[in-house]
Amino acid sequence: MSDPTFRATTVESASAGLRGMALLCLAGAALGIGYNALGLGGKDPWGLPWIGRDRLAQLAASAVVSGSTAPESAGVDPYTTDVSDPRAVLAGEAGGGLPEIAPREEPQQIVVAAVQQYVDAGAALLIDAREPQEYEAGHIPGAISLPYDQVATDRQRLEQLDTGGRPIVVYCGGGTCELSLSLAWDLVYAGQTRVAVYMGGYPDWVDAGLPVVTGAKP
Amino acid sequence: MSPARWIRASYCVRGCEIATGVILAWAGLAKIGDLGSFAAQIHNFRILPVALENLAAMTLPWIEIVVALTLLLGMRSRDGARTALVLLVVFTLAVVAAVTRGLDIECGCFGTADASHVGWSKIAENVGLIAIAVIAALGPVAATERPSGVARLETGDVRS
Repeated sequence: MSDPTFRATTVESASAGLRGMALLCLAGAALGIGYNALGLGGKDPWGLPWIGRDRLAQLAASAVVSGSTAPESAGVDPYTTDVSDPRAVLAGEAGGGLPEIAPREEPQQIVVAAVQQYVDAGAALLIDAREPQEYEAGHIPGAISLPYDQVATDRQRLEQLDTGGRPIVVYCGGGTCELSLSLAWDLVYAGQTRVAVYMGGYPDWVDAGLPVVTGAKP
Repeated sequence: MSPARWIRASYCVRGCEIATGVILAWAGLAKIGDLGSFAAQIHNFRILPVALENLAAMTLPWIEIVVALTLLLGMRSRDGARTALVLLVVFTLAVVAAVTRGLDIECGCFGTADASHVGWSKIAENVGLIAIAVIAALGPVAATERPSGVARLETGDVRS
């Protein structure tokens, strides 16, 4: 191995190897971008502009299914797989009793009217997935603060959560409300079965003219 | 034949190339049809900056397919095997990172049809794949390494 010719060849072939690998990656990336740029993927959202699109905004926009909007008319977007069956939207029944949040192995969606019924009856554990300072600035009455960023690193908090046998309603800041979806899935993984996500979140609650509570207490 | 010689026998290397190629082709093809879900799965790993997730979702499956083709067709297969090895190591590190951070998420390894979650069994599976890819990446015994005097005649990269 002390032969200089041999060593030079080895170094050369190593760099040739790196070049070859880079070439393959570039070829793959070019094919992928080309395939989607030409629209061969079939769906227009996956064109080039999609690369730079704000994924979180898109996620929230597609996941907000309000009232009785059927999923078919809302369009089927892959992101809604996070709440896999939008038909499970829990709408409040006018003058009726509490809509039932049935046990499921996945989060379900709930709309403002139903949230209001649960809040009035104190029949659900409301969880605010936003940052503590946002919670203190204003939250839905009775909601406890469970910032997703803290929960993600401390799963014991989820496992030790005392719901008092009530279903859970998670909400966050609406709009790009990804925190509540993530938290809802974590709750399901932690063994909770009656977990609802209020996609509209706090802004929707305020828009509806419903009461809020400020400060660090529920 | 010692194990070191055995794993560098040409039929063994070819077998590993095909195995790695089939796995990668499967993984790539499963993902190109459902970019949105794949991007969401990448997002769940919380490793890439959000701005790069869509680009990764768009290109990664195709890189897998190109690499798989080199391995299956035996063209530039050594480059392909090395790239496959790098990809597998990166994927495995991503799974390890997810598991150690306590994330219970879909692997996304083979698209949405494969609902397997990340976990130690997935890591073990990947380590097995890495071992296969290493054999493919090492390639058959090259002329330069044969204990005969032929070496000096073929100092070029006869492996590719």
